[in-house]
Amino acid sequence: MRLQYPTNIKVVRVPCTGKVDVLYILHSFEKGADGVYLVGCLEGGCHYNSGNLKARKRVEQARKILDTIGIGGERVRMYNLSSSDGPLFAKYATEMDEKIREMGPNPIKLAKKKKAA
Amino acid sequence: MSGLESNQTTIRGSVMIAGGGVGGMQAAIDLADSGFKVHMVQKDSSIGGTMVMLDKTFPTGDCSMCMISPKMVEVGRHPDIKLHTLAEVVSIDGGPGNYRVRVKLQPRYVDAEKCTGCGICEEKCPKKVTSEYEQGLTVRKAIYSLYPQALPNTRAIDRDNCIYFQKGKCKACEKFCPSDAIIWDDSEQDIELNVGAVILSPGLERYDAGMRQELGYGRWPNVVSSIQFERILSASGPFMGEVMRPGDHKHPEKIAWIQCVGSRDSHNANPWCSSVCCMYTTKQAVIAKEHDASIQPTIFYMDIRAFGKDFDKYVNRAKEEYAVRYQRAMISTVREEPGTGNLILRYAEPDGKLVDETFDMVVLSIGFQPHKEAVAFAKTFGIELNEHRFPKTDPFVPVETTRPGIYATGIYQGPKDIPETVMQGSAVAGRAMALLSEARGSETTVIEPPAIKDVKDEEPRIGVFVCHCGINIASVVDIETVVNHAKTLPHVVYAGNNLFTCAQDSQEQMKAIIKEHGINRVVVAACSPKTHEAIFMDTIEECGVNKYLFEMANIRNQDSWVHSATPEVATAKAGELVQGAVARAASLSPLDEKKIPVIQRGLVIGGGVAGMNAALGLADQGFEVVLVEKEADLGGLATRLTATIEGADIKTYLNDLIEKVAGHPKIQVLTDALVTGFTGFKGNFTTEVIVGTGMYERKIEHGVVILATGANEYVPTEYLYGQNQNVMTQIELAERIEQSGAEDLNQVVMIQCIGSRNEGNPNCSRVCCQSAVKNALRIKKLRPEANVYILYRDMRTYGLMEDYYMEARGLGILFFPYDPDNPPAAESAENGVVVSFQDQMTGRQLKVRADVLALSAGMTPEDTEELANILKLARNAEGFFVEAHVKLRPVDMATEGIFICGTAHSPKLISESVSQALAAASRATTILSKTQLTLSAVTAEVEQDRCASCLICVRSCPYGVPRINEDGVSEIDAALCHGCGICACECPAKAIELNWYKDDQIICKIDALLEGAV
Amino acid sequence: MIVADKKPIEEIIEYLKGKQNILILGCNECVTVCEAGGKKEVGVLASALRMYFQNQGEDVKIDEVTLERQCDHEYLEEIRDRVDQYDAVVSLACGVGVQFMAEKYHSTHIYPGVNTCFLGATEERGLWTERCQACGQCILATTGGICPVSRCAKRLLNGPCGGSTTGKCEVKKGDEEIDCGWQLIVDRLQALDRLDEYETLCPVKDWSTDRAGGPRKVIREDLKQ
Repeated sequence: MRLQYPTNIKVVRVPCTGKVDVLYILHSFEKGADGVYLVGCLEGGCHYNSGNLKARKRVEQARKILDTIGIGGERVRMYNLSSSDGPLFAKYATEMDEKIREMGPNPIKLAKKKKAA
Repeated sequence: MSGLESNQTTIRGSVMIAGGGVGGMQAAIDLADSGFKVHMVQKDSSIGGTMVMLDKTFPTGDCSMCMISPKMVEVGRHPDIKLHTLAEVVSIDGGPGNYRVRVKLQPRYVDAEKCTGCGICEEKCPKKVTSEYEQGLTVRKAIYSLYPQALPNTRAIDRDNCIYFQKGKCKACEKFCPSDAIIWDDSEQDIELNVGAVILSPGLERYDAGMRQELGYGRWPNVVSSIQFERILSASGPFMGEVMRPGDHKHPEKIAWIQCVGSRDSHNANPWCSSVCCMYTTKQAVIAKEHDASIQPTIFYMDIRAFGKDFDKYVNRAKEEYAVRYQRAMISTVREEPGTGNLILRYAEPDGKLVDETFDMVVLSIGFQPHKEAVAFAKTFGIELNEHRFPKTDPFVPVETTRPGIYATGIYQGPKDIPETVMQGSAVAGRAMALLSEARGSETTVIEPPAIKDVKDEEPRIGVFVCHCGINIASVVDIETVVNHAKTLPHVVYAGNNLFTCAQDSQEQMKAIIKEHGINRVVVAACSPKTHEAIFMDTIEECGVNKYLFEMANIRNQDSWVHSATPEVATAKAGELVQGAVARAASLSPLDEKKIPVIQRGLVIGGGVAGMNAALGLADQGFEVVLVEKEADLGGLATRLTATIEGADIKTYLNDLIEKVAGHPKIQVLTDALVTGFTGFKGNFTTEVIVGTGMYERKIEHGVVILATGANEYVPTEYLYGQNQNVMTQIELAERIEQSGAEDLNQVVMIQCIGSRNEGNPNCSRVCCQSAVKNALRIKKLRPEANVYILYRDMRTYGLMEDYYMEARGLGILFFPYDPDNPPAAESAENGVVVSFQDQMTGRQLKVRADVLALSAGMTPEDTEELANILKLARNAEGFFVEAHVKLRPVDMATEGIFICGTAHSPKLISESVSQALAAASRATTILSKTQLTLSAVTAEVEQDRCASCLICVRSCPYGVPRINEDGVSEIDAALCHGCGICACECPAKAIELNWYKDDQIICKIDALLEGAV
Repeated sequence: MIVADKKPIEEIIEYLKGKQNILILGCNECVTVCEAGGKKEVGVLASALRMYFQNQGEDVKIDEVTLERQCDHEYLEEIRDRVDQYDAVVSLACGVGVQFMAEKYHSTHIYPGVNTCFLGATEERGLWTERCQACGQCILATTGGICPVSRCAKRLLNGPCGGSTTGKCEVKKGDEEIDCGWQLIVDRLQALDRLDEYETLCPVKDWSTDRAGGPRKVIREDLKQ
């Protein structure tokens, strides 16, 4: 089953979503990412017990900061799925892509363009 | 003479395996990893067997070559596995523990020492020969390797087809060989191997579809065999994965599969069921449809035998999502429509009406049969065969032949699918280990770890290897563009491409390139690191590069597969993924792996047939075992069973087994015992158990866990069960016959699939069809005048059990298929039950008064929810434990050091539970046989100067590993660290880093992936 | 330890408007432990500020440094050669660090990045409670180890006032009830069988060592060089 998902999604591998520092999320936006999402194990099913729950908190933290500085907290999301669930992975990828397209590009990029123009 | 005698008393620490398919490979790996030397003797010029010919595998659709390739590489590179190809056993003498095997090696005419596997000879050879591997659909050369990823990859000359050998002129291969490797005067050789045990895994041959002349194979070009269709589907096959008719290369739309060609047919072919055809056909139909959505698949079948774990779910999906049409009918003829190449199939519909239907292409689902030379083969080894020329084995020790120390495994032992073959491969290894345990380590090589170059102060010199993955990647991504892009990236000193980077030859090439270019960091752009990372890491280590100086870019799963609709974008993305990988590779530093001691004791959870066999499997090798059973007595579900379908007495077997386990000096049995706590890691687990009515607590330290928690018979809520005493399950019926015979049974009705294949449990329970046949036969034999009716959906008496089904039909037991949408009904009557159902042949409603209505109740797993939580193990929706990989790791759990066997894994027969139990013991031994294990270096480390001793790591670690040490700073024990990185993420002083995932190693990748975004 | 809380980013942004060159300066002591001003928080704030200014179309350079402590000359010296290049330094240290910085580098604009709250303990991760008000005259010996200065809203020294009902203080923090400090002391002394000590009158306390007496000093001649 080779489901298709949007090409603009690039995966950074981590051993557990609990390894995703809020700094990585913020840094990605600094570097021009339009959205960042974490894909972790199902809640209650973390391979490392609780990493995905911590990750959810980091996502909330990042959302608050991005809202405060006008980038948009909605650009960060947390998804949970089981490793065998390819269709859901593709569905979330598509959903994320749609959500971000709705929000438009990372405003930093727009600001930069505007400045250059 | 005296020398020989003294030799025979010595137990040898080596095993010969005849046959290098996936089962033989698994046995070889388990044995070699457990301290035994392995000699693998393979008739062909390369190992691989059937699996290497397959395109994809059911039910996951994983690429067959991608799965087996790493295993082949593992076999090829294992220092204790010696391959003898083009080799056949001539004779064997000696006894268990010490066999002397004479092996004849056919000349290869190519010097394996000199050959680099470059393949120039093959390219230049002018002689084209029909390719066996491609099933005659294309050609190979007279100097050839069986298939592109062949192991060994040394080419061989096919003397019968070589122009030089036949006509005395040519020698093109010699002319072009850059290594001077051709040996024209190579000759047959005899070698002698001294081994302690012998494993037979020669596989089976495929039925010759041409025997069924009415189906037109060999006559109509668009009738192909199922193995040919595998090659047609394969991306590396004759049509590069495009579904085409061999006759005219047109794209077929209507494709028909005809089941049971060569199986379940004692007149033209073989009486047994080949066990795998229903599922591979379903898979072929699904994959064909995935390749080309316009294809309309129809499968003509007698019974759909989707009896394995999650198989029915797969068939349901084929029907619902892929519109695969299943038509119950036997095809009487296949004729070609003149002029079109289309085929007209004649068949009878269930109501008897004859129909002619035209298809564009026909696939014959051919079965397995023993090799033509099976009798001679058995004679060579001195083993007995059964009436079907399969080795004679006992249902309770399914892998032992009639000659001690000689074991049979895989499809050679009986038709079975890949996971069962792998399982049995481990099982035979387990038996051999038990036999030879005292000689463990006596013949294995001790290799010094390769000297690792110190590159700390060197500038990064990165080599990038981009993989075509056959056409998995290359059909979408333009590899050359990716390679060229890689060449422009910082620190990259080499970039190149391979057809299959994981293949043995490419690995050798990679090593040469690393040395030649002084590469100190390697990037492989290919498939998933989950499956291939370890192999590549070992490869680079072999040439002196620390294995952690490695990074993969997954340009297949994350790119070509999922963006196949937009190849240009996919190519660009592949470049970006490589860029990310290169950036990360440059940031990596070498890491050292630590070694930790192993607690050489096993814990088995569950004291049924599987658990006890697993315990014995370890204990017989001298390992201590603690067996934990939650009930007061050992035995499990088997305590309710009487006999196997073969007539073997389960009660006696079980009592012997319990006695053996209870009396074994190495086994400690804890009954009434409940697991309450579990910590640790592979090699070092601690389990807390509450034992006995006194509820005292025990702490068990052990190196491995074998789960054998078992299953129960489903308790029906259907058909008056529990309300009418004449309604009972098959187990209850067997008990009743055992106690009071069949004298009072004039009419018995059995209904199949109770609690299986429905909404609540979509899967087949595998054992119920044979239970019904077994009980029906028993009744019929005790009381021939009794009438027995079996109402079924598909009779699933797979493998050699088909004999009993045929016998049942022969004895006049009546079989009526029913439609699940119109199931039979039952109502109570005086002294019995009246069952009504529709006869599909006549369409009439029938009513039968039955003395007994037997419900073929399915299997439900033991309640393991709490245990699964404590051990953190995954279960499927039905509550069976989920193994690490359905195909190639059927007894391993995802957590290393935990193994699964018996009905805790999925419903199965006793013989299958025994196989899996032996397999679990074998897999567990790969850990227990070592005194120490090498740990991953991916662990968290504290930069103690920066530590603020804030305790946040202590508080956030899910395993309680970090502690504030005597110096007042945090310390993380690498042996205990699981490598999740949570502490590193949470540390407010940023004083903790997870090795290999350091902040800058992740950040630089993010930067590279986002380069140019702002 | 000194417990601090993160300042809202909006507030920090206000200070920094118009600045071009900013240093975010963390401290690896108390504020790290209470996850308000360590290296990680420096990174988070710096990243957020960078994005904010980029989004405003402004070119602002933001650097990050975390010192071992900001309340020691030696550690502060580590940034001497670079501090001049910044037109603003946001110190994520407690008020001590911010002031020490400001004194040492008096021409640099120093802004606080955290709100320094109290001297307290970590009850659990994410929950800190006050324990000490640094009055300079510790009386914990006579109060069963519970401090009336920090635990009693009125800082009474000889038993509770009339506002203590069923163990709770009449002062509330929003909806949250506060234990009466003196009730805690009495309960503890009773449990220790030292209730007689409660009878001993505490003489009038010399509050000159408390903050009421102006900025305080501790001088240790034995240590001075």
